[in-house]
Amino acid sequence: MAMTRKQRRLTLIAAAGAVLVVAVGLLLFAMSNRLTFFQSPSDIVALAPPPTDRIRLGGMVEEGTVVKDPDGTVRFSVTDFSATIPVVYHGLVPDLFAEGKGVVTEGHVGADGIFAADTVLARHDENYMPPEVARSMENAPSLPPAGAAPLASATP
Amino acid sequence: MLQWLIMAVLTAAASIALLLPLYRNRAAGANAGAEAAIYRDQLRELDREVERGVIGPAEADAARTEIGRRLLRAADAAAPAREPASDQRRTLAAGLALVLVPVAAVGFYVAVGTPGAPDQPLAARLQVDNALGDIDAMVAMVEAHLASNPDDGEGWEVIAPVYSAAGRPNEAARAWANAIRILGSSAERETGLGSALTDINGGIVTEEARQAFERGLALDPTAIGPRFYLALGLGQEGRNEEAAAAWRALLADAPAEGAPWVPLAQAQLAMVDPTAPPPEIPAEQLQMIEGMVASLAEQLRQQPNNPEGWVMLIRSYNVLDRDAEALTALADAKAALAADPQQIANLDTLARELGLAVN
Amino acid sequence: MFAELGHYALVLAFVLAAVQAGVGYWGATRGDGRLMSIAPSAALMQLLFIGFAFAVLVRAYVTSDFSLLNVVENSHSAKPLVFKIAGTWGNHEGSMLLWVLILALFGASVAAFGANLPQKLKTLVLSVQGLIAAAFLLFVILTSNPFTRILPAPFEGNDLNPLLQDIGLAIHPPLLYLGYVGCSIAFAFAVAALIDGRIDAAWARWVRPWTLAAWLFLTAGIAMGSYWAYYELGWGGWWFWDPVENASFMPWLAATALLHSALVMEKRDALKIWTILLAILTFSLSLLGTFLVRSGVLTSVHAFASDPTRGVFILALLVFFIGGSLALFALRAPALAPGGIFAPISREGALVLNNMLLTAACATVLVGTLYPLALEALTGRLISVGPPFFNLTFGPLMIPLLLLVPFGPLLAWKRGDVYAAGQRLVFAFGAAILAALAAAALTGARGVLAILGIGLAAWLVAGALTEPAFRAKLFQAPLGDSLRRAYGFPRSVWGTMFAHLGLGVALFGIVASTAWQTETVAAMRPGGESIQVAGRTVVLDSILPRNGPNYSETVARFAVTDAGGRQIFLEPAKRVYAVRGTPTTESDIATIGFSQLYFSVGDILMDGTTTVRIYWKPLVTLIWIGPLFMILGGLLSLSDRRLRVGAPRRTRAAVVPAE
Repeated sequence: MAMTRKQRRLTLIAAAGAVLVVAVGLLLFAMSNRLTFFQSPSDIVALAPPPTDRIRLGGMVEEGTVVKDPDGTVRFSVTDFSATIPVVYHGLVPDLFAEGKGVVTEGHVGADGIFAADTVLARHDENYMPPEVARSMENAPSLPPAGAAPLASATP
Repeated sequence: MLQWLIMAVLTAAASIALLLPLYRNRAAGANAGAEAAIYRDQLRELDREVERGVIGPAEADAARTEIGRRLLRAADAAAPAREPASDQRRTLAAGLALVLVPVAAVGFYVAVGTPGAPDQPLAARLQVDNALGDIDAMVAMVEAHLASNPDDGEGWEVIAPVYSAAGRPNEAARAWANAIRILGSSAERETGLGSALTDINGGIVTEEARQAFERGLALDPTAIGPRFYLALGLGQEGRNEEAAAAWRALLADAPAEGAPWVPLAQAQLAMVDPTAPPPEIPAEQLQMIEGMVASLAEQLRQQPNNPEGWVMLIRSYNVLDRDAEALTALADAKAALAADPQQIANLDTLARELGLAVN
Repeated sequence: MFAELGHYALVLAFVLAAVQAGVGYWGATRGDGRLMSIAPSAALMQLLFIGFAFAVLVRAYVTSDFSLLNVVENSHSAKPLVFKIAGTWGNHEGSMLLWVLILALFGASVAAFGANLPQKLKTLVLSVQGLIAAAFLLFVILTSNPFTRILPAPFEGNDLNPLLQDIGLAIHPPLLYLGYVGCSIAFAFAVAALIDGRIDAAWARWVRPWTLAAWLFLTAGIAMGSYWAYYELGWGGWWFWDPVENASFMPWLAATALLHSALVMEKRDALKIWTILLAILTFSLSLLGTFLVRSGVLTSVHAFASDPTRGVFILALLVFFIGGSLALFALRAPALAPGGIFAPISREGALVLNNMLLTAACATVLVGTLYPLALEALTGRLISVGPPFFNLTFGPLMIPLLLLVPFGPLLAWKRGDVYAAGQRLVFAFGAAILAALAAAALTGARGVLAILGIGLAAWLVAGALTEPAFRAKLFQAPLGDSLRRAYGFPRSVWGTMFAHLGLGVALFGIVASTAWQTETVAAMRPGGESIQVAGRTVVLDSILPRNGPNYSETVARFAVTDAGGRQIFLEPAKRVYAVRGTPTTESDIATIGFSQLYFSVGDILMDGTTTVRIYWKPLVTLIWIGPLFMILGGLLSLSDRRLRVGAPRRTRAAVVPAE
């Protein structure tokens, strides 16, 4: 085991290099496969992503679309005021989930065009709008109807 | 004044705390032996580690050599070369502590602070003497009381109409609901709750409000409030015949000396049933109204650039069935506001609404 | 008047901090003992003044002084006293004041307890601390001033966010801050060493206990925050890889690495340069955490503080401190003398590997946290980096680390023997196999990864126990002999054991609750049909309204009967806070052994029908019991005799220079 100082140092550098390579490899792989893309309803209509893509869909819960089935299934539509996507979700929605309010859902677009969400996030207090939602609302081609104005003004 | 005095004391404390060490003679280099002591301790530690088997005997010897070398080096460096303390620097530092610290602190504070602003703890502000005459303070007092005694039904009942009058229907509804929960239902409380709920919805009698009025009516079938709102609700639902019947029944029960709600009810009846007679205005009220209209007309003659005033005047003539004067007022208004096409358009719309002939 | 005096005290503290930084540095570079002695005085006074300002703010909250804008925005007269007090730091301004208070506390500790430090090192450390304090005090006074007045004062405040009206969250930020800011000590020592151009032996003696203390607070803070999210947010999740969580997790990972490398440095005088870099990085990550949370740059779940002007100010501070210290490092580090030598396979080598893996893991978290920000800034594309990303990057780096943890303490310093260590770990390996088999049998072999995870957890726990058992020659020498040996161990041996054991315990909880959790969502009504959850019968007993001091709630009372006929009641609720009218979900949790039943309800309809979500979370409490073991280990280590010796005893009078 008699190693020279130089050999010891090389061993350390080799080990550090190996860890680095593994870490960078994992990062690159994860970046190509495990990122969730934020998309607005308009994006989904325009891009028609395949059902394998995990998508974070953000927008406003359209007024009058929330239907809660007795078995805990919640159906609603998410809109950015230029396109609307129907969403189905099984489970409890967060406290601040409500019609006309901002929402972010995660899941996949089904073959039937319905967005199957496995996660629903609402704003955590009344001043919060998911930044992506605020962004996509600003970019929405048509102006939101009057009822949505107070929320739009909550944009940071 | 007291604030500045205490600030002076705080500043003095800060300055003195900085000055004291400057003028105290301390033994310099007291820590000279510290480093060597640490290495000696490491040597002792090494023996215990060998005993526990955390380091092999050969490696321990190597480590001992390394530590020994450092120990020697530390002993060499034990007396660090130190410049003699300079009196010039001390004077400069003292000046800093005595002058710059107070000047900077006070200057900065005056720029960002609110000197002289007193504390305002809520309890003191709610002392009756201070609060008397200040409606907000009194409301706050009752609120504070209710926060600690949420089961005081009378308290809720007292504050509920205050909220209504202050245009805070959400709080009013909550207060009425609490009063009902604690004191039980009564026609008055249910009516209060219902009308607060109606106010929340911008004057629309919602299902929830309707239920409150019905509960109130069940408790006191003669109560005017619930019947009034229920009739209003019927009208809003477009059930005009039922609404008209309800209004007629209500008007039939009106006291002989009149009541403030009678003209309102008549106006509502006229809306759901065009055949009903226009609201009947008692003579002295009519006189008062005509007096007001006359003074408004006079005012507009002197200051014609008042669109709202003109609208009010035209509407008043129309209600009083004085269409000729309404038309004159319309023409005068158009002349006065001719510079503003938007106002002219508004006036035309108004005229169409009221059925005035537009030339 | 008190409010204004508090404000003035804060300004005075800023001036003192500036003096401490400036005169301290001046005196230290000139070697002027009298000038240097100003620094400890200034540090102690600074603590006194900031402490006074903080007390004034607490007083304003307790007395509901609505002439302070900060109190109006974050308090309400109807709030329970404990939340009025906690409300002081439950908001941006108050929490930043707490931040500088804790910074001053650490600075004053160095001043008060640093009698055994060489004066120059101590003064430089205080000077760096003073600079940090001055910068952050300026930030507080100019952009986040809690003493801003509003006149005439309103009569009522806007309440504290109901989500934050929770005892867990009242303690969570102070703990985290103690951790974040505690890292500033190691940072100040590192920068002082770089300025001085040499590292004293006292350096490592000091850095390790302070890092350990900061690490303890971070561990406690993160564990508590996680438990808070678990029971308060109503989702039953305990870690979301939320950027704000990452912001506290990265300093923790770096501090863990620093603890281990400081150990090498203290005992063997090796890894000096690396340790200094790590000390800088750890505090930089703390600052980054403060920046991420306080600037509003990521609007996340914890989005209750956002203001761009503040963000720019903090960013400037961040660039100054991180950039400045790294530049100093690049300039001065090569001049530092190299330390003791060791073979790659040795205790030192194991600790180096630990450091590599921890920093690599920390780097992946950093990339995952900052990548979306960078991508958005550069290309405008919006992405979110969530659990799938971190599970794939962080996870694989942790597995070798966890596999190797039991080896470390069994390797000798300077040159170790892997084969011998392996032999000693045979029992631990057997325990791991047994645990995995037991898990497979109990769960019907569902989830191969989870079963391996259980094996790994058992390996960690048994491996942690192996070291003291082996050192005490347990089962090889007579029992009395072993006990005598064990009694003679330094406490840090037990500290290591408990910390590593805690890791295994937490892993048990993480694996079991993730892999074998069940989730049932059902619509139920009072007196309606029962459902089966984890071998228990659940019925909705009744719906009852209930009033709290500043909220009203609708409680759904569930009866849960187990196979033995024992009945418990759970009462999740929907709560509405009067002032803001915000609804919140109050989940209810029943702890059964180490497992938990977690009930959360949706909207409760007029007829009492409600949607209930019931989780069965096997062994979930171990996730937080693990950190408790780690904290115990840290405390034992901190109380180790060796961290206190090494300095000549000095007269009492000289220990506290001022006051």
